[in-house]
Amino acid sequence: MYLDIRMSASRVVVIKGRRVFLPSGELDPSAVAGMVALGFRRLTGSEEARDGVAGLFSRDDRVAIKINTIGGREISTRPELSLALAEAFLQGGLQGKNIVIWDRTNRELREAGYRLSDSPSVPRVLATDTSGAGYETEIFSHRNIGSLFSTIQTRFATASVSLAILKDHGLAGVTAGMKNYFGAIHNPNKYHDSRCDPFVAELFESGPVKDKHKLSLLDALVVQYHRGPSFHAQWAERSGRLIFSFDPVAADVVGWRLIEDLRAEKGLPSLLEEGREPGYLKTAEKLGLGRAGWDSIEVIRDEV
Amino acid sequence: MKRRRFCETLAGTGLLMGTGAAGRLARAWDFQDTANLSHVEARFYKKHPDREIECLLCPRLCRLGDKERGYCGVRQNDGGTYYTLVYGKACSANVDPIEKKPFFHFLPATDAFSIASAGCNVNCKFCQNWQISQVRPEQVPHFDLPPAEVAAAAERYKCRSIAYTYTEPTVFFEYMYDSAVMARRKGLRNCVVTAGHIQPEPLQQLLQVVDAVKIDLKAFRQDFYKDYVRGELQPVLDSIRAVSRTKVWLEIVYLVIPTLNDGGPDIRIMCRWLAREVGPEIPLHFSRFQPMYLIKNLPPTPISTLEALRDIALEEGLKYVYIGNVPGHSGESTYCPGCRNKVVERFGMQVTALSLKKGACPACGRAIPGIWA
Repeated sequence: MYLDIRMSASRVVVIKGRRVFLPSGELDPSAVAGMVALGFRRLTGSEEARDGVAGLFSRDDRVAIKINTIGGREISTRPELSLALAEAFLQGGLQGKNIVIWDRTNRELREAGYRLSDSPSVPRVLATDTSGAGYETEIFSHRNIGSLFSTIQTRFATASVSLAILKDHGLAGVTAGMKNYFGAIHNPNKYHDSRCDPFVAELFESGPVKDKHKLSLLDALVVQYHRGPSFHAQWAERSGRLIFSFDPVAADVVGWRLIEDLRAEKGLPSLLEEGREPGYLKTAEKLGLGRAGWDSIEVIRDEV
Repeated sequence: MKRRRFCETLAGTGLLMGTGAAGRLARAWDFQDTANLSHVEARFYKKHPDREIECLLCPRLCRLGDKERGYCGVRQNDGGTYYTLVYGKACSANVDPIEKKPFFHFLPATDAFSIASAGCNVNCKFCQNWQISQVRPEQVPHFDLPPAEVAAAAERYKCRSIAYTYTEPTVFFEYMYDSAVMARRKGLRNCVVTAGHIQPEPLQQLLQVVDAVKIDLKAFRQDFYKDYVRGELQPVLDSIRAVSRTKVWLEIVYLVIPTLNDGGPDIRIMCRWLAREVGPEIPLHFSRFQPMYLIKNLPPTPISTLEALRDIALEEGLKYVYIGNVPGHSGESTYCPGCRNKVVERFGMQVTALSLKKGACPACGRAIPGIWA
């Protein structure tokens, strides 16, 4: 049984992990798993996280979890989180062979701390440049987008999840769940003009993304709130949060707000004042992809 | 790919044949390890605080954080230093007739050793070589071909010149520049096939080491550049003007796309501009469009359109106006503006008769501008 996405389209759940960082500074995997479980319960209203997962996918779905590892070990989607999400999917009834954690290149995955795996018995960790994957050879064209999609998105996945790292982005303003799909095409460098607007929205609107996207989960455990997308320790905050939503636009709007709150707290000008607010979110709303207005988003906050 | 493998490739797989682009898109098992990309510091960039850089090579002036690549996809900020990833990394190498570029007034009936790396700093929706220009270098097969070997290969294949072509040579500036220097030491000429989307300073440096430049003027309207090229018209006009002020030979190609850039009034304005800013003797090629890449919904350019535009250009006083991609058309040949004698006859990319004598019409003695030998 599928959830009625429309009913919860603008619900965004923000889970704060009080003890997610160990004294060493490392992440506590069990705490991350607890955050994921709580997030699913609050997002779906289910008593158990696995029921929420079961309602999101069919048992035979092949789920591609798109992560963002361009920032290296310091500021990429955390392996502990990716594995916790995959584990939640397993508990929800998906088969290990049908779950893939993926990004553009094996090198980036390794540098972000992932151990590559192509074993069919467990969630696989692989990239578009893994042997047997690759890009489509025919250009996919949609509005201003003309790209080759990763076959992981087009052929493997029947459902996809954007598990993005939340960061300030010098060109886009914010990089989060929607822009994460730039890593699913061969030429993202062509879509950073005009603060990535309308490209982020139009790519998301394309069939290979929109028809398969089921969930946005933003890794806001450590947030680069200034001078992103690369890592700068002085502007990276251990926020300890995860952001869940079925509405890809609303999830990113809440992520953007978190960045703005951190910037204000640190005495930095807002992205609007710097002339680089993520206008692609309003474009996405105009395209009917979700809600960008703060007043139309229900934010549920919880802690574990 | 090591040097030995490269030589084997040249000899065995027909790399030195064909158009250079078709079928070159990487299959999954062809992906290049990024470790095999070059890591040579780029020229023309400025360092900013917090490991940011600003690329000064082309008018985009990409400002990039650490680990980011420019619009071209082949230059990357790594820790606050900017690197070219394609130095000595050719994705295409072929021996082509110089007429294929096309150059019609530069070493006619000779071969050009033609090379490219992946990448481009614009994104034309009608790109004819998108499989190599609109990809990142790790997404297309490439091989090691350092500048010294470019020149050596050109000599080996008895080429008179080296052409930097197929993709956009601006994005492999360092590789092109160093190859050109090596080539000149061997007495070879250098020619560049470019969209002209380059900043003045690198262009001026490039013009010190090359002999001919062909600029693709894609339209004479900024909105066309914005919508179909993802670039700017003015820098291209500036480049045309800058090249024309030097001794480097210049030709212009205009790809005529039905309904998009084939308006007679615009062409007339463009021809007046060329005649005024460059001079009436600049060769202008109107090339026939074929549906490609992101524009597959338009038909090939009617030959009658090409002929009508050529007539406009001649009316505006341009002396050497050609029709391209129409093999056998009379507009492929060069005629003396003085006596209308046919001084170079062409069929497609081949010169079928060359009657120039010391660069002049054999009938009336009028000098025909160009680099003929």
